[in-house]
Amino acid sequence: MTRGTIQNRDAFLQTIAERLGRSPRLSGVSRPQWDYAPQWTVFAGYSQDDLLAVLREQCKLIHTDYIETTNAGLAGVLKQQVTAYGGGPVIVPDDPRFAEYGLSALLRDEWPAEQTTVHIWNPALGRQNIDAAEQANVGIAFSDITLAESGTVVLFSRNEQGRAIHFLPKTYIAIVPKSTVVPRMTQAAAIIHEQIEKGVLIPSCINFITGPSNSADIEMNLVVGVHGPMKAAYIVVTDR
Amino acid sequence: MKVSLFVTCLIDLFYTNAGKATVELLERLGCEVDFPEAQTCCGQPAYNSGYVKEAKEAMKQMMRAFAHADYVVTPSGSCAAMVKEYPHLFHGDPEWEEEAKQLAAKTYELTQFLVDVLKVEDVGASLHGRATYHTSCHMTRLLGVKEAPLCLLKNVKGLELVPLPNAHQCCGFGGTFSVKMGPISEQMVDEKIAHIEEVDADYLIGADCGCLMNIGGRIERLGKPIRVMHIAEVLNQRK
Amino acid sequence: MPMKIENGPFWKRVEENLHNDFMRGAVAGMQDRGYVRRLGVIEELGHWEEWRSLAEQIRKHTLENLDFYLMQLSENVAKRGGHVFFAQTAEEANDYIRRVALEKQAKKIVKSKSMVTEEINLNPVLEAIGCQVVETDLGEYILQIDDHDPPSHIVGPALHKNKEQIRDVFQRKLGYTKSSDPVELARHAREMLRRDYLTADIGITGCNFAIAESGSITLVTNEGNADLVTALPKTQITVMGMERIVPTFEEMEVLVSMLTRSAVGQKLTSYITVLTGPRDEGDADGPEEFHLVIVDNGRSSILGTEFQPVLQCIRCAACVNVCPVYRHIGGHSYGSIYSGPIGAVLSPLLGGYDDYKELPYASSLCAACTEACPVKIPLHELLIKHRQIIVEREGKAPAAEKLAMKAFRLGTASPSLYRFGTKLAPSAFAPFAEDGRITKGPGPLKAWTERREFPAPSKERFRDWFQTRQKGGNPS
Repeated sequence: MTRGTIQNRDAFLQTIAERLGRSPRLSGVSRPQWDYAPQWTVFAGYSQDDLLAVLREQCKLIHTDYIETTNAGLAGVLKQQVTAYGGGPVIVPDDPRFAEYGLSALLRDEWPAEQTTVHIWNPALGRQNIDAAEQANVGIAFSDITLAESGTVVLFSRNEQGRAIHFLPKTYIAIVPKSTVVPRMTQAAAIIHEQIEKGVLIPSCINFITGPSNSADIEMNLVVGVHGPMKAAYIVVTDR
Repeated sequence: MKVSLFVTCLIDLFYTNAGKATVELLERLGCEVDFPEAQTCCGQPAYNSGYVKEAKEAMKQMMRAFAHADYVVTPSGSCAAMVKEYPHLFHGDPEWEEEAKQLAAKTYELTQFLVDVLKVEDVGASLHGRATYHTSCHMTRLLGVKEAPLCLLKNVKGLELVPLPNAHQCCGFGGTFSVKMGPISEQMVDEKIAHIEEVDADYLIGADCGCLMNIGGRIERLGKPIRVMHIAEVLNQRK
Repeated sequence: MPMKIENGPFWKRVEENLHNDFMRGAVAGMQDRGYVRRLGVIEELGHWEEWRSLAEQIRKHTLENLDFYLMQLSENVAKRGGHVFFAQTAEEANDYIRRVALEKQAKKIVKSKSMVTEEINLNPVLEAIGCQVVETDLGEYILQIDDHDPPSHIVGPALHKNKEQIRDVFQRKLGYTKSSDPVELARHAREMLRRDYLTADIGITGCNFAIAESGSITLVTNEGNADLVTALPKTQITVMGMERIVPTFEEMEVLVSMLTRSAVGQKLTSYITVLTGPRDEGDADGPEEFHLVIVDNGRSSILGTEFQPVLQCIRCAACVNVCPVYRHIGGHSYGSIYSGPIGAVLSPLLGGYDDYKELPYASSLCAACTEACPVKIPLHELLIKHRQIIVEREGKAPAAEKLAMKAFRLGTASPSLYRFGTKLAPSAFAPFAEDGRITKGPGPLKAWTERREFPAPSKERFRDWFQTRQKGGNPS
């Protein structure tokens, strides 16, 4: 990666230091031990089943359909949910988990056979991916981490998983393995922070998505489905 | 128990009945009440308007007047809250910082004193009627006294106490705000009165004379049949 | 538009807005519903005061080490191939952004919500070089179409508009033919803006929280517009107020939790997006180029003063939502894009006392704002500090008031003067009093008695009653 440019920093930071009444501090500062840590008490000691129960309840509040299935039933449930949302076109990332979870047949054979177009994100196709996302009725992706408290799926971008998958299609389905569920953003942030400390480069886009898009900008009335997807569903795979 | 009364300028001049009721109430509960003559004003009116130097002169006088008191009790939530600010305002002042801390530590608003120090919740009062209680902003948010007045009012025989809708909203007094920003203050007090009427209250009870003067003054101007009483007067009512 | 939204006098704005029934109903409704909702999520979360103390500590530490964290942030952005421009003034920021737009030969620019870009008045600068600038936040979009009607609330800028007004604007400007049903209005905006996202050359965003440890920016929305603004155009420019930064992801998540609960009573908004640099190599979407513009524009002059706590602000508007004054006068009365209590403290600091001298007095000091602030800014105390400055340094207090306060000082510092003065009060007011009340007061009482009765001073002062009683006389 070519290093980017930085302009006008010295004078800018010098001004700040002067106003704070000391010389510039450009290195050697570390976070103190914060006096409080209430974020770690939320759902402390909850089992995965407890957390799923929280997630289930939360989905009711965020206009998100919640479906549970075992891995064996996933393909059937997914097909059903896409039909419920009005069918294809469908867009998915190029993600090995689709094969691992037994969805290959659905993506490559069943859907195309019944005229449901499936676009698998392919970076080599450049802008065509975005066009496919724009035309898609359903975007489907696997949740990398799932936050029970808020009903949030966390997605890390990759070459094979473009950002547009989560935003341009009319509806959105996240496949949520039960093992990905954590209490709240605190745990996700700690995981990411640890990676950064180790020197791992985080992806250019990390999305924390909670249900469909909405706005209360017109007379403070909540309208669901503004710029992003108008409907959202989470399919929880209980034995993975 | 020796208690020194800080009566406040508003009560001294305009609401003497609240001051009298406070004395009688405290004496009936076994306190020996004295009135340090040298007391003037807690400094709020000047301080809140930005006249800090002027306010501090009044504050020093308060510290002088109550230097020998064991307990300082005042029937005004906002004045007690102002006194609690003295340590902050005189921080670093070699002459007054200690005095400020001492005065702040021994000053109480009346209901706070009754419940937290005297440990009394039923003062044997009786008043028949339907009443609602106005929670003054400074008393609740700055002094932190929320429960004491309600505990005491609940035990007043014959008093039907109903919650005031939107109680958390300011009545629009704010000292000089009520005159500097008159049109805005008027809207705020009118909304407050509308909420009092919503619950059909005969009595509006409060623990801060500034608020009561504001709400009461507007009630009178509008000719509404709501009687405004200071909580000391209510607690001092007997059959 | 810039921070200042109007040129007229404060009182003219207030009088007009006091008569705007729709706005007052909308604001009161929003405050009442918000009050219940906010208390609900706070109770559900538990330990709220600990959360506030933690959030305050994080913000204070960051401000005290702001140069360090901006250093770390800029290094990490550059490492990921992003370009950082430090702008001390609005002009410098606008110049840089204009240069980027010219270089990219940009024709269309989509923007997600950013108060700092309004503060520096960016849009006209880009329009002047022939760019079409499209606001994508639904509230900002509505205002932009309505001939740049200024925002009246920092989170819900179109709060003052009713759905019929919005339908009329859409009809006039967008050829809209449907009803005033919010769902239909929103769908129309969705259709119109879709095309804009897909054809824009540049996406401009604000920044809720920049993360120093990774060179990332965090965007918090419910609509998903910021995500489309940053996923689709080839160039992304993010503009941030220099204080909108946290050390690591861990502090970001704490402050985001405080923001979403305090602003809209949600555990999290629908979309929280952390972006780091331009797209990764091999990605098929995301910007190819990323610019971060870090703006001072007067913020550094607040550092090192008693007003430094105001920089802790995370722009949640919780203070606005509980303010009883804002409730009646609405956002436009403040004359600034920053309204309510935070606006009353911040606008004079960024914009000077000449334009904003009434704002610190437009408060009854009820402290609801201080109580609601998730990062514990002592807002009502800062308003008093402004008043102190206006009185002492600016010399802008009215002469009569200064005189009255001098008398106050003399009277309250001397017990004998006080006794004398209060003894005189009943006779001094006697001509105006009737039946124990004053209806048409003289001098300073006049403003009071315009709206309220004023009690006449009692004939016997409390202290006289007490003295008589002590001496064994007849208590009245």
